[in-house]
Amino acid sequence: MLLLAFAMVLFYAPMEQTMGWVQKVFYFHVGAGWLGMLAFAVAMVVSIIYLRKGDLKMDAIAASAAEIGLLFSIITTFSGMIWARPSWNTWWTWDPRLTTMVIMAFTYVAYFLLRNGMDNPVKRARFGSIYLIVGFITVPITFFSARMLRSIHPTIFNAGGGASMVMTSPMYQTMGFSIFAFTILFVFLLLFRSQLRLEEQKLKEAEALENEMEFGEVNNG
Amino acid sequence: MKKWFATLKTLIWKDLLQEWRSKDMLTAMLAFAILTIFIFNYAMELDPRTRASLAPGILWVVITFSGVLGLNRSFVAEQEQGSFDALVMAVPGLGSIWLAKQITNFLIMLLLILIVLPIYSLLYNQNLFNPALIATFILGAWAFSAAGTLLASMSSQSRMRDLLLPVMLFPILMPVNMAVVKAGEGIMNGLAFASYQNWLLILLVYGIIMTTISLMVFDYVILE
Repeated sequence: MLLLAFAMVLFYAPMEQTMGWVQKVFYFHVGAGWLGMLAFAVAMVVSIIYLRKGDLKMDAIAASAAEIGLLFSIITTFSGMIWARPSWNTWWTWDPRLTTMVIMAFTYVAYFLLRNGMDNPVKRARFGSIYLIVGFITVPITFFSARMLRSIHPTIFNAGGGASMVMTSPMYQTMGFSIFAFTILFVFLLLFRSQLRLEEQKLKEAEALENEMEFGEVNNG
Repeated sequence: MKKWFATLKTLIWKDLLQEWRSKDMLTAMLAFAILTIFIFNYAMELDPRTRASLAPGILWVVITFSGVLGLNRSFVAEQEQGSFDALVMAVPGLGSIWLAKQITNFLIMLLLILIVLPIYSLLYNQNLFNPALIATFILGAWAFSAAGTLLASMSSQSRMRDLLLPVMLFPILMPVNMAVVKAGEGIMNGLAFASYQNWLLILLVYGIIMTTISLMVFDYVILE
């Protein structure tokens, strides 16, 4: 899927007139950005389900989604920087979109710090879920920052905005397919990572049990 | 309902009295706030022209930084003395415990603003007693204490404690900080109300949302 998307980016999408090759990073930038925000949204929804049901499986899924989201937010930021260097003539600029994006990523760094600081797995899951729900407030703000505030970051999904981009239909198709491919990627990553997390949990429980048993034997002997 | 308010009042009174007897928190916050104002003076070489519009931003940074110090303390007494369980058993409806804490934190923030604002005005010879600016700070203080109280109740139970709160809180406060600074800038530059009213609206909505979410999830924070 990703390979196909990559091929489309390389061969199908036409060359952008002013920006040339560099514009092609855009398809992955949008895909990764979309994946990041989707992952955070999923993490929030799953957190609500966790607080309702109290199933630790849900916590594993939420944590995995947050992890994937964090990873792809970082990828988005860096791919954006690659594009910004030739287009804006700088790696970084204090634009609202860029700033809110990085702060959003830090929310999820804090989430993992909070998790690491909790020893009791149930409390860890509860606090983590609450923080994911509260922290989600940064995601819509990041999304709308390029639209509401004065920003030089281009937007695609709005009609007639000041800085919206003009694209031809093969470009739209390529972008749509890229977003689709990243969504599929997210589903698989989430499945594998949650599975891994659950296995880790089981392993820890088993180890704890084993320790307890050994300790018991020592006591008996 | 009447009884609920009576409980709430008692709880707030308890928290305030506790703070009044020791004055640990308020003294530390004030000392820190005033020190920060002095440090900003070294750091920014504030020249009078830019200073005017920067003032709300600097003041807000000072207030939130010392506010975090206070938030860190707000659940410590209950934890050290183990009186939280007793409180949970004594009070009907856990929401009122949380709301009381938030209102206490809000009042302490107000007091801090009330003291820091004249000091800043005096030191930088700039009149900050602008009703619009004070209203902005009050809305900001409510939003800050709403988000802060919830997060402090969680971070105080983690292994990292005080270290964790600012790292957790400041990203979440992003819209609040943005709104206070932008609105304050507009006010100090003498712009019309219409040009910054959206920022005040954001502050109001943020405060309401955070208070609602906190009341909904607080049960999960304190129940074992």
